[in-house]
Amino acid sequence: MNSKKVKIIYFKEMKDMLRDRRTLISMILVPILLFPILIFGMSSLMIKMTKQAAKRVNPIVVIGGDNAPALFSQLKVDKSFEIVPESDYQTALKDKKITAALEFSTDFEKKIDAGDSAQIKIYYDAAEIRSEMASGKLDNLFKAFQDSVVTERLKVKKVDRSLLHPVKVQKENLAPKEKMGGFFLAMFLPYMIMIMALTGAMYPAIDLTAGEKERGTMETLLVSPASRGEITSGKFLAVFTASLITSIVSTGSMVITAGSSFTRFEEMGKGAVFSVNPLSILILFLLMIPYCCLASSILLSLSLFAKSYKEAQSYLSPLLIVIILPAMVSFLPGFELSARLAFIPVINTSLVLKEVLLGTYHWGFIGLIFLSTTIYALIAIFITRRLFEREQVLFRT
Amino acid sequence: MIKTINLSKTFQDKKRGEIRAVDNVNLECQPGKIFGLLGLNGAGKTTLMRLLSTVLKPTSGTAKINGFDIISDPQKVRANIGFLSSDTALYPRLTAQETVTYFARLNGLDEDLIQQRTDELFRIFNMESFRDRRVDKLSSGMKQKVSLARTIIHNPKILILDEPTLGLDVITSRNIIQFIRKAKEEDKCVLFSTHIMYEAEKLCDEIAVIHQGKILAVGTLEKLRDTVRLKNLDEIFVKLVGEEHEF
Repeated sequence: MNSKKVKIIYFKEMKDMLRDRRTLISMILVPILLFPILIFGMSSLMIKMTKQAAKRVNPIVVIGGDNAPALFSQLKVDKSFEIVPESDYQTALKDKKITAALEFSTDFEKKIDAGDSAQIKIYYDAAEIRSEMASGKLDNLFKAFQDSVVTERLKVKKVDRSLLHPVKVQKENLAPKEKMGGFFLAMFLPYMIMIMALTGAMYPAIDLTAGEKERGTMETLLVSPASRGEITSGKFLAVFTASLITSIVSTGSMVITAGSSFTRFEEMGKGAVFSVNPLSILILFLLMIPYCCLASSILLSLSLFAKSYKEAQSYLSPLLIVIILPAMVSFLPGFELSARLAFIPVINTSLVLKEVLLGTYHWGFIGLIFLSTTIYALIAIFITRRLFEREQVLFRT
Repeated sequence: MIKTINLSKTFQDKKRGEIRAVDNVNLECQPGKIFGLLGLNGAGKTTLMRLLSTVLKPTSGTAKINGFDIISDPQKVRANIGFLSSDTALYPRLTAQETVTYFARLNGLDEDLIQQRTDELFRIFNMESFRDRRVDKLSSGMKQKVSLARTIIHNPKILILDEPTLGLDVITSRNIIQFIRKAKEEDKCVLFSTHIMYEAEKLCDEIAVIHQGKILAVGTLEKLRDTVRLKNLDEIFVKLVGEEHEF
């Protein structure tokens, strides 16, 4: 094989690829924009919804309010609730005119004063989010009331409140703030980057194989003095480059987006600090190399088999699902890396990337996964090369 | 020169079984001569030419192109031929100049020679005005010129042209015919397939009639006339191929 010819083919394919709008969109534009839109959009929406929910006034119906004058007057001044005079609370709840209805038992005040248990009924619609939230708020209000009654009763009996809490449990989160930040990234990044590495290389792979067949340029290339091996290598390297560029752009975009959105999460009280260890990013790219090789050669093989762009797309869509599902293991709690899992492609990379981003470096696993994925990639490249030599594949009719 | 030796190619078809697309073909094309391959659609012309260009491998037999064997030395064979067919399209996103340069580089030409050859070809084919225009913005006549430049950038001794005038307008077809004549003057060996009789009559020094993968007759037009005892090539062709193909 002549490396000069491989280089000529590679540079031509790259030039051709970078002039294709579809490739540019999937390789650069989508990975740059996807994460900011996803993360900022989602968090803005969440913050907005939480704030709105906190501000929202809940119309409620109170039955027998006079039976519990103290609580009733407390409810009247509470800005979260608006007491409305509806006689048929069931229909009103169904028609969403009110969010909940309350019923105080007739002997409420008497029972509280006597030191007994009094009853409040809350009617709500669990299938309605606003009603569910209103009932939660009412719950909290009554808990606070109950607490004050208990304190009062204990005071009268001269009993210390600690009697109610013989054991005090104190939880302390020892995870460094950086780790809390990394945790978020470790969940999403492996999954996202592995999908993006595939989608970014998808259009180039189709364009360089089935696309060439469809346009009739494949035969022009085949009658040139370049060997099939040189053609395969040039095309493979171009698709691999697309895959790697997409991975780099996605990682950059995700790290920056996550970093700047963490100030927002702090607002929400999580207190996590965002930081990524450069060593983790370095290992991440090192592990992405064999993965991108594997993905590129699978994409090339499948799309080479297709006669047209459309046919290639229908072959590659199921592949996306085959990769998405195992890559999702980084989301699953309790899915830990083991020697056996280290040999399963996609799952192994997803799990080890999660660990690495959390700052745990199991060098044995990292080496093993790098090696096993490299071997799979080499096998896939070999198959692609063989397919390029088969007339039945190149000239399928 | 081109010499085929019992060259055969069979395909397996699910419905029709084994198809002998090229059946025991023995041909010889000499330098400075235009050799016409005449046949109906599906007669085996394209398969024969694909075998000679090493894109397909023969089932049995072989061919020598400029002394190189198509089976054992395919890369050298491809370096010695200029191949043009309706299936050899151009990259739409490359410019005319980039296209020709790309194939020149794949043919191992050094940069100085590439510059010299492209300048020469762009001048001869009158392509200067669209040198830096992308192929997808060119007219079909312009594209055909770029294809011709691509085919001969490495100055091959042998030209294999599979129906080069197919679907082209009169002017562009004339340009191609002129191009073929010029190649002959330059002592190149031209193998040229067509199903247009007058093209073959006008151009070819030797004609082979191919039908169902087999060569039915081969020789100069005079020789074919003598054999069949008919004057016009289309009559000779119909006689050879068999009248059952007529209405």
